[in-house]
This record gives sequence, structure tokens and C-alpha cells, in this order.
Amino acid sequence: MITWFWIFSIIYIGLLIYASTRTYNKKRSIDDFMLAGSNIGSILGVLTYAAALFSAFIFMGMPDFFRVHGVGAWIFLAVSDGAMFFFIFWFGYYLRNKAKTVGFKGMAGMMSHVYQTKWAGYTVFVGAFLFLIPYVAIQIRGISIFFNAIFPALLPSWGWALIIVLIMLAYGIIGGLKAIVFSDAIQALLLLTVLWIIGYNCVKYFGNVNNLFEQVEIVDNRLLSTPGPQGLFTVQFLLATFISILLLPATQPQFSTRIVVMKSMRETYRMAAGLCIVATFVFVATAFIGMYGAVRYTTASTREFISNSLLFDQSNALAALAIVGLFAAVLSTSNAQVFALGSEFRSLIRGEDRSVLLRTRIALALFAVVVMIFSVIMSDELVLLARVSFTGTSMIAPIILVGILSKKRPGKELIIASAIALFLFLFSLSEYIPDEIGGVRIDLALHGFLVLVVLTSLAVRSKRSN
Amino acid sequence: MKHRKRIWRFCQWGVVFLSVITFTPLVIPANTYLPKLFGLPYTLWAGMLLTLGYTVLILIGISVHPGATQNNKNI
Repeated sequence: MITWFWIFSIIYIGLLIYASTRTYNKKRSIDDFMLAGSNIGSILGVLTYAAALFSAFIFMGMPDFFRVHGVGAWIFLAVSDGAMFFFIFWFGYYLRNKAKTVGFKGMAGMMSHVYQTKWAGYTVFVGAFLFLIPYVAIQIRGISIFFNAIFPALLPSWGWALIIVLIMLAYGIIGGLKAIVFSDAIQALLLLTVLWIIGYNCVKYFGNVNNLFEQVEIVDNRLLSTPGPQGLFTVQFLLATFISILLLPATQPQFSTRIVVMKSMRETYRMAAGLCIVATFVFVATAFIGMYGAVRYTTASTREFISNSLLFDQSNALAALAIVGLFAAVLSTSNAQVFALGSEFRSLIRGEDRSVLLRTRIALALFAVVVMIFSVIMSDELVLLARVSFTGTSMIAPIILVGILSKKRPGKELIIASAIALFLFLFSLSEYIPDEIGGVRIDLALHGFLVLVVLTSLAVRSKRSN
Repeated sequence: MKHRKRIWRFCQWGVVFLSVITFTPLVIPANTYLPKLFGLPYTLWAGMLLTLGYTVLILIGISVHPGATQNNKNI
């Protein structure tokens, strides 16, 4: 396996270097660097969006989620993502039209402009920073611990984390968004191929799909329905997740930027359709791997299950490709998120192009350092931490949605309400306040509160203008 | 034009409908995994149908959305 690993690693790194040298241009403007010249076609769009979305969270987290919590994981992610792809399509139209009218450097800068106050931009930036950094860090931590378990003699886990952060930093700072988009495309293709072959092998082990699910039924039939063996998939949990994931194209900058940089509206629509098809294939494969694990590795730890099902139960070449695929998945998703934070930072500062670019690069380096520190001190709950990231950023949705959809200047009460919801959610995570209010989950209650504020604000403003 | 608008509205309401039924016992009946379809438990195949529904609505929407003919380059 080691020989295959080095062969695939060299090919992968060679492709990365090729992509960055192809996209590198000394004379490029800051917009070319940060927004890839806003010239991305639908196929590249599907691959880069998929890579930003399908990280180690999908590769390692979702099979384990299926294994432990059962088929409700499909509703948790696949159905929520299906709705989210329609939202890209629906919201993308308004976002791109707004970007055309007021310009786009980043969502935070755009909101400062629309609301005519810097506080709107600051709130959007803080929301993204607070919930993206831990998400990036947990992925890097997950993969570095995993690599350390496979190659214990080679490097300590923090050494793997450092390598990922350094490559991520070098790639983002030198190559810019276009290089990241190309690396995303390589990762997405790798991920799709590996996941599908492993998913197929998992079904083949049992003969067919029918036998696989019959075996799962024998092991624990609660895995075949909601709320699952641990009772996680309640209606409230699934609904709050659905809302948070649905809003991702608006609330997480790596996704909104990818909508704006598409070549045209038509390409954006094609991207949304392509994503829906690609995602379905990815989720089917993760479901099969998870169900295979439910039968064969019922009581194993996450790490044992992942290393056995993705590596040791596969051929040497496929296992090596899976390791490189995992590395690529973490690298491109982390890159996308840290670079998006850089874009948001850049959209909030003013000055000459050269000085803005320099300050943005310094900010990218600082974000990478923070990610590195977090990756050493965090816990291991990959999927649930990803969900926290989605939910946390959904608290700033009112600012962005009303800012994009409204033709008039929206009210500042939306900024205040979003900031309150953001900090209440943070307090609930830190257990300073309870995570339920009157039997309703705090995230769902905060979503309800924000809907109420938005409706009231719109009604009062429309009454005033009449 | 009116026809396209009507279809686009149908797509939007279709998405709302699919999203609402997701959280009802129609898709996630508690502790029930029958009837099976091709060996798949009920919630899984119902969820797959929902995902297929979203895909179909997006594919229809591509040709009827008001922005479908817009080619707004150079943002």
C-alpha cells in the first residue's frame, strides 16, 4: 500500500503544482486573485462547489453517521442538500443581480454597502469566522489523527496537521481562487471515484442491496428507521438541520462566492442541477459504506471502522487512493473556507490594490495559524461539529437574505437580532444557557425568533413607506 | 411567457411541498421501516424519492426561470 500511496501522492502533488502554475499570473488584478476573474463554467462550478461542501465530513463522517444512527442520515443531509441546491438556483438569481448592481468583493463588504453601516459587515464576518474556523480545524484534526494511526512511525498527528496547513497556506496565497478551484476539481473527481468503488465493494461483500439491508435488520432494526438507535433524528433535530443547510449558499462565504464567480446565470443553474445529481451519487455510496459498517463493525470505534472499511478491507491501490483522496478532501475544503474568510476580510478594508492584497495575504496567514492551534485542542465529533458550523452561520441569514432580496435599505434591527441570536447560540454551546426552551431546541427557537423579527421589520417598513 | 411563469411557480410550490412532507410521518414514520422497495427500508427510499423530486424540479426550473435567458457576465 505504501508504494501505491507514494505513487498517487506524487501524481496528486504534481497536478496541484500544474494547476497553480497554470493559473499564476504576475500581472493579475486583486479581483482575478480573489474571485478567479468571475469566469467559472458549470462543470468546474459543480466540482468546486462539491469539493467545498463534501469534505472529510462526507468521506469519514457520513458513513459513520449512517453506521451509528441509521438511514435517517439520508434525511439529515441528502434531503436538506436537495433543497439547498434548489435554493442556490433561486437565491443565486437575486445574489448575482445584486452583485451586478452594487459590486461584490465579499458578502461582508456587500452587506456593509447595502445596510450603509459597517456593523452589518462586521456581524457577517464575525459569524463566519466564529463558526468556520472550528469546522476547518476539526477536519484537519480528524485527518491528522487518522494519518498518524495509519503511519505511526512517520509523523506525529500535529506534524500532519502542520503539513496540511502549510500546503493550504502556500496554495491559497500564491495561487488565489482559480488555483483553489482547480484543486477542488481534482479532489471532487478523486472523492467521487473512490467513494463509489468502495460503496460498490461494500454491497458486493453481501451479494446485493437486499442482503445488505437484511443483515442490518438482524443486527439492529432501529437503524432502518428514525429516530435511530440513539434517538438522534427527531423531527426537531432534522428540521433545524434542514434550515441551517438550506441557508448555506447565503450564510457561508465559500458558497456565496462560488455562486457569484460563475460565468453566467445559465451556468449557475446548470451547476445547481449538476450538484443535485453528483450529491445523490455521493450519499448513496456513503449510505452503503455506513450500512456495511453497521453489520461488520457494529461496536468498533469511528477510527477502527473508517480505517477498516476505507482502507484495510480494500485492495492496496484503492486504499492508497482513498488516503490521498482524504488528504485532498481536507485540503480543498479547508482552503475554500480559509480563503473565503480572506475574501470577507478583504471586502471590509479599503486602500490601494497592492496594500489590500498584502493585508489580505497576512490575514490568510493569521487565519491558518488560528486553525492550526484549534486543530490541536479540539474534540473529535466531526459530523456534529459540522452541523454546529452550519447552524451557527444560519443565525446571520436575516441580514444577508433581506439585504439581497430587498430593493430598499433594510433596517438595522436585523443586524441586532442576528447578533443576539449568534451570541445566544454560542452561549448555549458553552452551556451558559439551556439548549432547550419549553421543549423546543434552542437553534429552532432562534430560527423562529429571527423569522418573527424579519416579518415584523418588513411589515413596519412597508407600512411606513405607504 | 405566462406559461413559463406558471411552471416556475409550480416548481417553487413543489419544493415547499416536498420540504414540508419531509418532516411528517409520510416520510419519517417513527420506528417503521416497511414497506421496503428493492430491499431499501421505507425512510431511505422515500428520502431518495424526495431527492429525485428536487432534482426534477431544478431541471424543469432551468428552462422556465425568469433568469434563464439572462447571460449576465462580468460581475
